[in-house]
Amino acid sequence: MEALQQGIDLSGIKSTPSIDGAILQESNTTMRNRLSSDVAHRDVTHRDVVRQTRTQGLRRGAFGALIGLVALLGVLSPAGAQNFTYPEDTRPSSLVPFFAEDMSSVRMLELIFDSLVFINKRGDVSGGLATSWKVSPDRMSINFVLREGVTWHDGNPFSADDVVFTIQAAKDSKTVFNAKSKYNFIQDVTAQGKFGVTITFARPINEAERRFRFKILPKHAFKGKTAIKRSNRFSRKPIGTGPFKVKKYASREVVLEGNDAYWNPSKISGVRMQHTPDKRAQVDLLKFSGKQSGVQAVIFLPPKNVPLFENSDTVVLESYHTVSWWYLAFNHKNRALKDRAVREAISLAIDREELRSAHLGQGDILSGPFVESSPFYNFEVDPREQDLQRARQILDDAGYKMKKGMRSKGRAKLQLTIVVDKDLASGQELALGIQAQLKKIGIVVKSKFVDHAKYREQVFKKKKFDLTINVWSFEEVEDIYPLFHSKGVINFIDFKNAEIDKLLDTAKSTTDYKRYKEYQKQLHAKLNKELPYFFLWSLDVYSGLSKQVKNVFIQPYYYFTSFNEWGMRR
Amino acid sequence: MNRALLLGLATTRRLAGGLALLIGASFLIYATVRLAPGDAVDAITPMGTPPEVRAQLAAEFGLDRDTITGYVTWLKRSATGDFGQSLVFLPGATVMEAVWEPFLRTLVLSCGSLLACLFLALLGALLLGEPNARQQVVTGPLYVLTSAPSFVVAVVFAQAMNWFIFTYFVKAGYQAPPWFPIPILTESIMPYVFAGFALVAGDGLFMDYLNAMRAELLNLRRSQFITAVKAKGARTAGHIARNMLVPIFSGYAARLPIVLGGVVIVEYIFTIEGAGYVLLEAARARDFPIVVGVCVLFTATIITVSLIADLVRALADPREVARGG
Repeated sequence: MEALQQGIDLSGIKSTPSIDGAILQESNTTMRNRLSSDVAHRDVTHRDVVRQTRTQGLRRGAFGALIGLVALLGVLSPAGAQNFTYPEDTRPSSLVPFFAEDMSSVRMLELIFDSLVFINKRGDVSGGLATSWKVSPDRMSINFVLREGVTWHDGNPFSADDVVFTIQAAKDSKTVFNAKSKYNFIQDVTAQGKFGVTITFARPINEAERRFRFKILPKHAFKGKTAIKRSNRFSRKPIGTGPFKVKKYASREVVLEGNDAYWNPSKISGVRMQHTPDKRAQVDLLKFSGKQSGVQAVIFLPPKNVPLFENSDTVVLESYHTVSWWYLAFNHKNRALKDRAVREAISLAIDREELRSAHLGQGDILSGPFVESSPFYNFEVDPREQDLQRARQILDDAGYKMKKGMRSKGRAKLQLTIVVDKDLASGQELALGIQAQLKKIGIVVKSKFVDHAKYREQVFKKKKFDLTINVWSFEEVEDIYPLFHSKGVINFIDFKNAEIDKLLDTAKSTTDYKRYKEYQKQLHAKLNKELPYFFLWSLDVYSGLSKQVKNVFIQPYYYFTSFNEWGMRR
Repeated sequence: MNRALLLGLATTRRLAGGLALLIGASFLIYATVRLAPGDAVDAITPMGTPPEVRAQLAAEFGLDRDTITGYVTWLKRSATGDFGQSLVFLPGATVMEAVWEPFLRTLVLSCGSLLACLFLALLGALLLGEPNARQQVVTGPLYVLTSAPSFVVAVVFAQAMNWFIFTYFVKAGYQAPPWFPIPILTESIMPYVFAGFALVAGDGLFMDYLNAMRAELLNLRRSQFITAVKAKGARTAGHIARNMLVPIFSGYAARLPIVLGGVVIVEYIFTIEGAGYVLLEAARARDFPIVVGVCVLFTATIITVSLIADLVRALADPREVARGG
């Protein structure tokens, strides 16, 4: 559950007209002007010539003045030093690892803090603050040998006590944070001398070392107190062991400087993150990026702007793997939607390919709750194709009769409300598209667009909706238990199915990965049939990076994990 | 002596009125923010957070008190200068730490822009003099150009400037100025210059100010006492200047709320870390102590400026004090 970050990353993507359009329009009008003056025949008198030269002179003068003004403004403002600058759609919610609840914090923390291990480019576990580790044969404990000579950003030495402190703080009931369950598997932690730690587990854990990717906090900065509040002063001046130190942490920007004492120092001397909520501004900043201005990266390019950079001299596109998929959720409290036939008809009436390519760009059409690259995706299940005839047939058979363009059965009308978060990329266009497509089979859809906070309250808390479109994003692999189990904590659609509950429970209790995978594939097929959601698509996501930056490797989800190997061309 | 006493009395009365207004406004702001859908706990906890965790967080944030008790506690603490803690906008910071610097930036930006606007309006009023048909060639288009909302001016300006520099500097092989492209992310004074321009050129502010100044100036020039001054052969400039003080200051005070309203979005566009930006972001995160703090500071600014305008009027025009201010 902690892995689920609801729609955060893609939420800023909006349709944005490109600046090329402006240039095109401009040249069209000049062309038209020129044509009209060619066509107009009249006798040219001396006065006309004088007037023309005078206006030309005036125009030239005004143009020169404008250029002069620009040059003057240029002299007025000092040039900034060359750093790696990137914009973010949302502000980091907190630079204390426990309280990092959004993607912009997760990315930033990658630069400031270290974990015991990290996942490298090849997907293997690599040593961070730990140099080696050993899991006990019964998979009930792990021993870490820690890196010596590491110092915190304030100069204090790092030791095993900090690791023990971090785990104790995470398990302290007075430290309240969302991802607390991530630490549930840990039973106890003890320091073995200054540079050794032993951690015991509550149950046998497979590939236990992969779970130690959480960030380590300095014990001394909290004076050893394990109950950590959000309002702690540490939040203002975070101290880590990572490759960058916090130089400035204001509400709109975070400035980092290189940590020279780091064991694998970065080739880039400084990083600057600026909150730039307007996606169009982000695209402009990248498009016009120069030696001393603009940005070096845009984390997520809106799909519509991707073609703009396809043959660019200054920008490269890096595809970026995310584990996130889009869905159309049905509220099972609605009597009509509780009927599987209605859900089936809706999923047969919607042309996903058309909606996605028109409003979002490239991607894969899905048949279940996993992305295609997931080990759990069941390729034997084909995605439904649009089939209006069959959709109508199913509704007829279920007893929904057409009357004045709307189907009804007794007093139950097929009139549904779709609630959409205004922050969702192209959400309004998608809702209108679905509205038009469902109208063809006699289902009337009303759209309601609400702001993010209102959306969360109305859909997730009060559950006042019939349909909604959204995205689920996962850290590594999909855990669908909380989504579709009748007791699942984020089963906001009130979906209850005994068979699926049983399968989810069996899958959860198995320790054998192969069998777990098999159960997930079965679930994929069952969920495709039962349709708690209509699974829509996953998108190809691109980052745009300035060609000044070299050796780029983008870590899925964490983004900046291998940033110390990135460099800048002079 | 008598006049000074009257002036003091009027000022005290105004101050007390201003304070009462501030308290009333702060309650309205507090209640509105607290009653808005969604709170800070909703903003940071994902769906499925156990109720006990939500309750713990609500207690930590002071959201477990009802609106009235919450407001009374807030008012008591604010009286001592403690506006509380930021909840989620800038965790670990007090409201004053999070708000004060951005607020000063906004204050300088909006007061400065309005001052520039005033200067231009006065200059225009002096240059244009008596109205005639020919002037409409200038004032007509100016009306149209300056009537767009300031944020529209800001967006169009930024886009047009980027395009202009890209086409005539970058493509032509010249060195682009360091503030290109807009928005500027590096430390620079230019965002303030651009934002100031958008504020002056937007919201119909400039033409409105110009017309007001022109009308005042014309009325003054045509008034009988100026004719009397002229008849005596004395210089009129000093009399006109002193009599213009009142409309200048009251006009300034009356227009400041418009600028403060426009600055909120204009700051957002030029990535200026001002109070408007803080207000919008804190409202998104439902960080109510910050939202209340910024709104109260804005209200206090407007009340203070109108107080100063009243004081200036009283000083410039003794009749005001005699009338009871």
